[in-house]
Amino acid sequence: MRFELSEDQQEIQRAARDLLAARASFARLRTVVAEADVEPTGMPDLARVPGEDAALTSELATLGWTGIAIPEEHGGQGLGLVDLCAITEELGYAVAAVPWLGTTTAALVVQHEGTEQQREDWLSHLASGELRGATTFTGDRVPVPGAADAALLLVGDPDGGPAALYAPGAGIAEPVRAIDPTRGHGRIRIPELDPEEELNMRGEWLGGTPTPTGPGFDRAAVVVAAELVGVTQRALDMTVAYVRERKQFGRPVGSFQAVQHGAAQMLRDVAMARVMTYNAAWVADAVDAAEDEAERARLAAELPVAAAMAKAAASDAGRTVTAAAVQLHGGIGFTWEADVHWLLKRAQVDAALLGAAGHHRRRIAARTSAVPVVEPAAD
Amino acid sequence: MDLTFTPEQLTFRDELRAWLAEHGPAGALTPEPDGEDESWEWRREWQRTLAEGGWAGVHWPTEVGGRGATLTETAIFFEELGRSGAPLPADVLGILLAGPTLMVWGDDAQQERLLPTILSADETWCQGFSEPDAGSDFAAVATRAVLEDPDDPESDWLVTGQKVWTSGAQYAKWCMLVARTGGPVDAGSAGTDVAAAAAGAATGAGAATGAAATGAAKARPKKHQGLSYMVLDMEQDEVDVRPLVQLTGSPEFNELFLTEARVPQSMVVGGVGNGWKVALTTLMNERAGLAFFLQVRLRQALDRLVATARENGRSEDPVVADRLADLHLRTEAIRLMAWKGLTAIEQYGQPGPEGSLTKWLWSETNQLLVQLAVDVVGADALSGEDRWGYELLRARGNSIEGGTTEIQKSIIAERVLGLPRA
Repeated sequence: MRFELSEDQQEIQRAARDLLAARASFARLRTVVAEADVEPTGMPDLARVPGEDAALTSELATLGWTGIAIPEEHGGQGLGLVDLCAITEELGYAVAAVPWLGTTTAALVVQHEGTEQQREDWLSHLASGELRGATTFTGDRVPVPGAADAALLLVGDPDGGPAALYAPGAGIAEPVRAIDPTRGHGRIRIPELDPEEELNMRGEWLGGTPTPTGPGFDRAAVVVAAELVGVTQRALDMTVAYVRERKQFGRPVGSFQAVQHGAAQMLRDVAMARVMTYNAAWVADAVDAAEDEAERARLAAELPVAAAMAKAAASDAGRTVTAAAVQLHGGIGFTWEADVHWLLKRAQVDAALLGAAGHHRRRIAARTSAVPVVEPAAD
Repeated sequence: MDLTFTPEQLTFRDELRAWLAEHGPAGALTPEPDGEDESWEWRREWQRTLAEGGWAGVHWPTEVGGRGATLTETAIFFEELGRSGAPLPADVLGILLAGPTLMVWGDDAQQERLLPTILSADETWCQGFSEPDAGSDFAAVATRAVLEDPDDPESDWLVTGQKVWTSGAQYAKWCMLVARTGGPVDAGSAGTDVAAAAAGAATGAGAATGAAATGAAKARPKKHQGLSYMVLDMEQDEVDVRPLVQLTGSPEFNELFLTEARVPQSMVVGGVGNGWKVALTTLMNERAGLAFFLQVRLRQALDRLVATARENGRSEDPVVADRLADLHLRTEAIRLMAWKGLTAIEQYGQPGPEGSLTKWLWSETNQLLVQLAVDVVGADALSGEDRWGYELLRARGNSIEGGTTEIQKSIIAERVLGLPRA
């Protein structure tokens, strides 16, 4: 029993943190966002996505980050979900303007819910970063990060119905300016996927035939949770630093109990999201590593609730912690000049992506009520 | 990340499970009797049974009757004890606090006199830390000990003052007492860190977790000179124990009135004026195990509530389902945070931030659970005849005992986040 990243994973996370501290500062983010607002003067640059840091995107692909959890036979590094979460947390911490969530979650979905052919068709392109991906549920609940017409789109059913894969150019994604200006988003207006009906000509059923949405989307939700852990940790760190320095009534505002207790609540919310996220990631990796079939089945049955708990905790934390960060920064926190708003905006989209907290609590309730009840205590 | 037990740990667990199946509620242990005294005697007998099986002090070294269990094994012990439905041993204060404190700070004579009777429950303990005017503000301890004859090197200390929240005092042979042997009463100088640890220790079995101890380990020594930790013999007329009735109607705690109660100099632990250090430094690791016991009990209560909600159909209400799911999540979070805190202690010698969050999260979650139970169970829960009615009232103490939630938040803000002192 060791609830901590391994030495290797800590090393990966440190390397990610160091690189992003150098490459993905808030100053850099402002430059990227400002460039996105410039009206195009000549021919549109189709390869460039507004709000995206093209240089960093390409560097991450070159470093092999995009393919970290993709099997080696498909051009990835074959590491686990815990490793992917450790890096994703850092990208969240930096609010890096890169198409990360869409591509890494798409790969997880194809890997765990696709056919061998679908894996063969898409994973290596996602691993290399040459192809973007995006993952969402039916129902158009959220602007989808990474969803552009040129991306591989994975659309699942939030209630466990079948999931579909749409090849680039399917024409189902329309670009949209989301409240989070630090990455490209698209709307995917598919109310539901009917297993009895034909998909559009660029679409196919994930898994070959209509197959219940499951282990790939669960893993994807955990990755989104990991980004939220990073975003909220940053919100906490910035808030703590600010209230230590900011003086009113001749004292640092961080010495006032009302402020202190607000910060403590932030820490608790982040800590809850963190343990639930890494627990779920560990369960997912344990499923993949299980040698015994019964053990694998037992762990696989745990994953949906573990993933739902992670996303529920992280979605709630994402909303409350970034809101508290704005509040505890006071007036400056409400300005464009302060950087907390990047966190708030990223968190709001991530919180809704692949199911908000209420959705995941509904899943928890449906599943845990079927769990056998432990015998009552004697006393 | 590795959320599995080693083969050795599984062997430990399976051996314990087998023993509990034979001796615990599923086996020889009779149901808890009614009545405060009867219940105490029943738990004392249970402790003797545990001691005979070698399970009373798993974390104690083998030389003093323990098993020399690791932190993880100790956590497993408390999880399994909770899971079996068995109660905590009667003298949890002696086993978790007094014994380990004496092992660190006691001299040879104290250890030889006091340790052998703890696990067997032949002599039990209570704790005299909190006072009516020194709750969260532990620095305000006003109970005073003076030497009867300062010129006599053999003179006894005479202790006068009032202690409160002393559970088990009516049965205890010994009291871990903190009294002022010098220095002025300097109310408010302690800050909140020490206060919470003290409050946690004082309420003992209620809700101790690592939260308070985090602050304790980093307490500032200079402000607490003048306090001494001494072992008071409860069997003397100068000690008056009066039951303190809680809002539930039951007297779970006591008040302690001391009027020149006698303590030999040989019973001062860790040296005169060193009391705060003795009282606080040994609490952390020993008490971490209790979080696992409380977590399992919370899980069982939630399972009971889920079963009830399914039986009476209330689980179909989306609002109820949402709250049940939230409780499930929180209960798992407590378990995972407790393990993460344990990992931090094993790796780095002190709990990480999670270690100081579990008590707060546990008390809040238990209160949410009993409140939801009222909505799920309905009239029975408020009629006073159902167990949920008692739990509803008892849970209000959770966020006070063991350090109030407000104190916990202040500890976290100042000691974990490093914010300036209030």
